[in-house]
Amino acid sequence: MSDLLQIAFSGLTVGAAYALVALGFAIVFRGTRAINFAQGEYVMLAGVAAGALNEAAHPPLLVTVVAVILLGALAGVLTETVALRLIRRPDPATVTLATIGLAVTIKAAVLLITDRASYTLPGFSGDASLRIAGATLEAQTLWNCGLVAVAAGGLALFFSRTRIGVALRASADDAEMAASTGMSRRAATAWSFGLAGALAAAAGAGLAPVSPVNYDFGTLLGLKGFAAAMLGGLGSMSGAVLGGFALGLAEALFAGYVSSAYADVVAFAVLLLVLFLRPTGLFAQVRVERV
Amino acid sequence: MRSWRSRVPRSLAVAVALTAAVALPGCGSDSGGDGGGDSDEPIKVGALFSITGPPAVVGEKMRKGLDLAVEQINARGGVDGRKLEVVFYDPAGDTAKAVDQTRRLVSRDNVDVVVGGGSQSGIALAMKPILERDGTLFMATEGAREIVQPPDESELSFKATFNDTVVLDRTMTFWEARGVKKVGFLPDTSGFGESAKQVIADEGPKRGLTVDVESFDPTATSLTPQLTRLRGKDPDAYLAWTTTPAGVTFLKNAQQLGLDDKLIEHGFGFVDERYFEQAGRAGVGTILSSPKLPVYDELPDSDTQKKALTSFAGAYEKKYDEAPNVFAGEAYDGVELVAKAIEATGGDTDGKKLAEALEGLEPYTGVTGVFDFTPEDHSGLRADDVAMIEWDGKRFVLAQDAG
Repeated sequence: MSDLLQIAFSGLTVGAAYALVALGFAIVFRGTRAINFAQGEYVMLAGVAAGALNEAAHPPLLVTVVAVILLGALAGVLTETVALRLIRRPDPATVTLATIGLAVTIKAAVLLITDRASYTLPGFSGDASLRIAGATLEAQTLWNCGLVAVAAGGLALFFSRTRIGVALRASADDAEMAASTGMSRRAATAWSFGLAGALAAAAGAGLAPVSPVNYDFGTLLGLKGFAAAMLGGLGSMSGAVLGGFALGLAEALFAGYVSSAYADVVAFAVLLLVLFLRPTGLFAQVRVERV
Repeated sequence: MRSWRSRVPRSLAVAVALTAAVALPGCGSDSGGDGGGDSDEPIKVGALFSITGPPAVVGEKMRKGLDLAVEQINARGGVDGRKLEVVFYDPAGDTAKAVDQTRRLVSRDNVDVVVGGGSQSGIALAMKPILERDGTLFMATEGAREIVQPPDESELSFKATFNDTVVLDRTMTFWEARGVKKVGFLPDTSGFGESAKQVIADEGPKRGLTVDVESFDPTATSLTPQLTRLRGKDPDAYLAWTTTPAGVTFLKNAQQLGLDDKLIEHGFGFVDERYFEQAGRAGVGTILSSPKLPVYDELPDSDTQKKALTSFAGAYEKKYDEAPNVFAGEAYDGVELVAKAIEATGGDTDGKKLAEALEGLEPYTGVTGVFDFTPEDHSGLRADDVAMIEWDGKRFVLAQDAG
């Protein structure tokens, strides 16, 4: 029992990061119908930057976290500039391809700059942990779940209460209509990518205390976040969160009870199953098309 | 409202198709030959180290170690009166590139010997058949056992590094001394981990050990599931076998699970201060198998290697203004061994003759260990050359067998 709980806790820690990455996929997909494959590299970039900043200047942890979230947002906006503005006819497939190119570029740049070094952050509450029914719950797990809660709550408010958020939603549904309200399509896509970058950066900051981050950290994580987004129904916010945690737990349980060497297969098996059986995702209801 | 959830758009199809295709481009450049000596016919040493690309951290140090050895040998008059001249290429971690460069070394540059296998076992293994066929002596500085095995396919191939069999042999002796009967072994799924897994599965039971194995992917962000599973078997020692940062996660997770009262161990691929600084408190007290270099100043004066290590570390620090690591030592030994062999043949660089000379050398005390090559053993190092060390929170110190 305590083993099961222990394994579940480890699934939550990682699942929270998947959820944040999946949220980023969802937002960009809503705004542009493209898949932003640079998403995982933002996580890596943020993790490396957080560790390097902490090593170089030892600023308060909050400063580091906020700084890398801003960096993530910037990376997102730059991605949008390259993938959408510099390309003549940015249809979703082209944009998706461009983000893959950017992902490779970001990874190569970090490799060259950091010389393969890995970086880490201290836990947000040090090494603190709780004992629950014989299992250890790290404070960082709670922090990461908290990050997801704040991000999901913040996004819900943003999309329902702020002018930009409402316009963004409108733009996703009908770009021309939205443009007539004064929100340009370009501003909308820039906001989508920026938010996605910030979310991924939060995931990077939350993971750096759990596991050292190096240039190679983001690719697989991004793909798993994508699997989580698919699992929850691509484009759905609540689906992304549920998908992230579900995938994290499934992976941990598989590693703990089936085979530890091939735990990575879980994400891709899930991805394939979803594509074959229920491309709309497990948690999304098929909506009736309103005319 | 149009539904954006009910259809799978085309971008998604593209995305899925390309999902696994994200790979790093190789980077880097070739650089030509290095400076040569003044005497008429220098001995040409071909060298392949990846000083760019994924193995750059390793390759950089190897090149420094090689340069130091060549500089020292030339300063004392060369080998048999002839200077050493290095022809250097950087394969940047790319095996195909390394194969081309190796062919160029033997066909165009006409090198006499080759030291260094691209700083990556896979590259060294690809270079081996080319050099064997050409009749050129190959002194690898990479780890894989297959570089020198089986003996009848490795007549001209040697290596200046440990076989994992030797390192694990030493580790098991350590366990015997510490009364360890049950081991939880966590290798990563790379070639490095898989090879050790096989060795420990074969040798462990012979030495009365019960070994439970839980592999992990090097990109794993949590090893808690694996450790939880092993904890159920109640081992006396947990040994991780990886060169990747996931080893830090292993230390942190082990601490969170309260395994501090057991032996927490890493293999010789994890002897890196940076990793332990990252692990913080979780790394204190970790035991590692290692070459003696990280603890050379602590060795008793009676240790056969103490003198060689002290003089190497001093010269390296003077030249590069940084502490040497084991990779630099391996390349340094590689050049010295080759030079010894050429001296023994009287300047003849025929591959077969050099191989025989290496096999016939008196045991050579190098940086990594005491090399004693035989026709069957082209690695030449023994379990005595391996040190058991411990991270005390600030640095590596010698660990005592009887704890």
